[in-house]
Amino acid sequence: MKKNKTMIVCFLTPALLFFISIFVYPICRTLIMSFFKIEGITDSVSKWSFVGLDNYIKLIKTSLFATSMWNLFRIWFLGGLLVMALALLFAVIITSGIRFKEFFRSVIYLPNIISAVALATMWLQYVYNPRFGLLTNIFKTLRLNKLAAIQWTDNEHKFWALLFAYCFGMVGYHMLIFVSGIERISPEYYEAATIDGANKIKQFRYVTLPLLRGVFKTNVTMWSVTSAGFFVWSQLFSTVTADTRTITPMVYMYMQIFGAGNTITERNAGLGATVGVILSIFVVLIFTICNRFIKDDDLEF
Amino acid sequence: MPKVKENVRENAKERKERFNLKKELRLAPGYIILLIWVIFTFVLIGWVFAASFSTTKEIFNGEALKFKSGLHFENYIKAWTSQNVSVFFTNSLIYSTISCVLLILVCAPAAYVLSRFDFIANKLIQTSFVASMGVPVIMVILPLFSIIAKLDILNHVMANRITLILLYVGINVPYTTIFLLTYFSNISSSYEQAAAIDGCGPMKTFWLIMFPMANSGVITVTIFNFINVWNEYFMSLIFANSNQLRPVAVGLYSMINSMKYTGDWAGMFASVIIVFLPTFIIYLFLSKRIITGLTGGIKG
Repeated sequence: MKKNKTMIVCFLTPALLFFISIFVYPICRTLIMSFFKIEGITDSVSKWSFVGLDNYIKLIKTSLFATSMWNLFRIWFLGGLLVMALALLFAVIITSGIRFKEFFRSVIYLPNIISAVALATMWLQYVYNPRFGLLTNIFKTLRLNKLAAIQWTDNEHKFWALLFAYCFGMVGYHMLIFVSGIERISPEYYEAATIDGANKIKQFRYVTLPLLRGVFKTNVTMWSVTSAGFFVWSQLFSTVTADTRTITPMVYMYMQIFGAGNTITERNAGLGATVGVILSIFVVLIFTICNRFIKDDDLEF
Repeated sequence: MPKVKENVRENAKERKERFNLKKELRLAPGYIILLIWVIFTFVLIGWVFAASFSTTKEIFNGEALKFKSGLHFENYIKAWTSQNVSVFFTNSLIYSTISCVLLILVCAPAAYVLSRFDFIANKLIQTSFVASMGVPVIMVILPLFSIIAKLDILNHVMANRITLILLYVGINVPYTTIFLLTYFSNISSSYEQAAAIDGCGPMKTFWLIMFPMANSGVITVTIFNFINVWNEYFMSLIFANSNQLRPVAVGLYSMINSMKYTGDWAGMFASVIIVFLPTFIIYLFLSKRIITGLTGGIKG
């Protein structure tokens, strides 16, 4: 047993050291920072001044931050609906006994392994390009000149262009989660349902959907976690710094702390920390709501 | 449970063998929906790939796919040599490879211990690892930056490189550990008992017997880590200060910005393809493993 003790210590220490220095300590410090006014990010603790909830109040009153939260909410909610709907649809089709299942599955997942910068560039410089872009060309061939003339990345359409491009890349991952959930449902349920005279749509509604509750929860949680860190796509789709159409909290925080001083007047690293805390609170909130409303399956399957 | 899975697979196989026109027709809408999506994906990537061999002028005339003036490999050569792509590429390769090796060396022993021994903090460690996967990077970035800036690391190339690698490792420790943990808990403990009877110490047992037995998990998680580190953006943006240190994702971003001004669209698409290729090639050969690895750990 003593031997085991040394082994436990030896084997765990490196991982724990990493974990403490990259997660535990920074998280605690960020939390504390959010209650202080900190002029420079490298200032020592003695120079911090305690301001209580001032940072939170100030942020909520900042219209640019409110815009960024609103944008993120729309990405999370509208994008979430779109991605979940498409992912579920694809998952149902893929598990319906079609041929080339593996092929379809791998191609749909493919965008997830591409660097976000590369994928966003493909969309921006090809699909949405007003001169030689895919959309322009498709609409031109269909003689829909009005649609062909749309500048997809102008201020009016930018947000939607961003949302669709982002969702395209995310569908594959969530589809895989749905597929694995559907594959774990015993075929006996469907056999029983067929005998009882339920058609495919009814089977989906009364067998598949209820049994996928747990998988839904996983999907929503994962979607929320990735949404909270929404950054690259926003940065690539913004033509100016502090682009109100595409700004997200993470971009706001990046500007606040690491540059673009002209848009933000006050230098306060505490505000940046507050952005992080607010985002984390939302992630925890969504997670709790999911757990409350989507009960874990008491059904064994 | 596994039996059910097998049944499903067998059923699927049976279905595959018979070609049933009626059934295929019923599935037609499904085929059409998937085909539209797949064709779009191919057009998107295929066009960019084709354009990377074309010229900017041809791209703007809408003739990127005609190759009137032949294939322009020089786009790649130009991007590789004059646009720093070679530097970014080498950086990414170094960061990804070293991080992957370190991650296994750090996480495999931890995962093993967590899967095998009952001690007070075990459950706590596991839960905090899982919880940390849901923490946005923004929650950890500020204190890390203040430490790293204070230590004057950002002005020293070698120290900066090492710090970047340590950051990539640290960020992926929870995921890798939890992933490997499930693999180790599926290996029967009778192997260790046998080794102990033969007089093999527990640490030696781990490296010589248990670790090789989990190699399939190790390989899968390494593929994920490689892709993650290769595509990592935010931390690299903040902690890699000069072109000399930048990995591909951040490098590509700065390149795209500069190429928009110089108007070298063909070169830009070539750079996009260079960044895209390594993960794509990995995926081409290992997509099955990646997909099963991804969904294996997910519980409903």
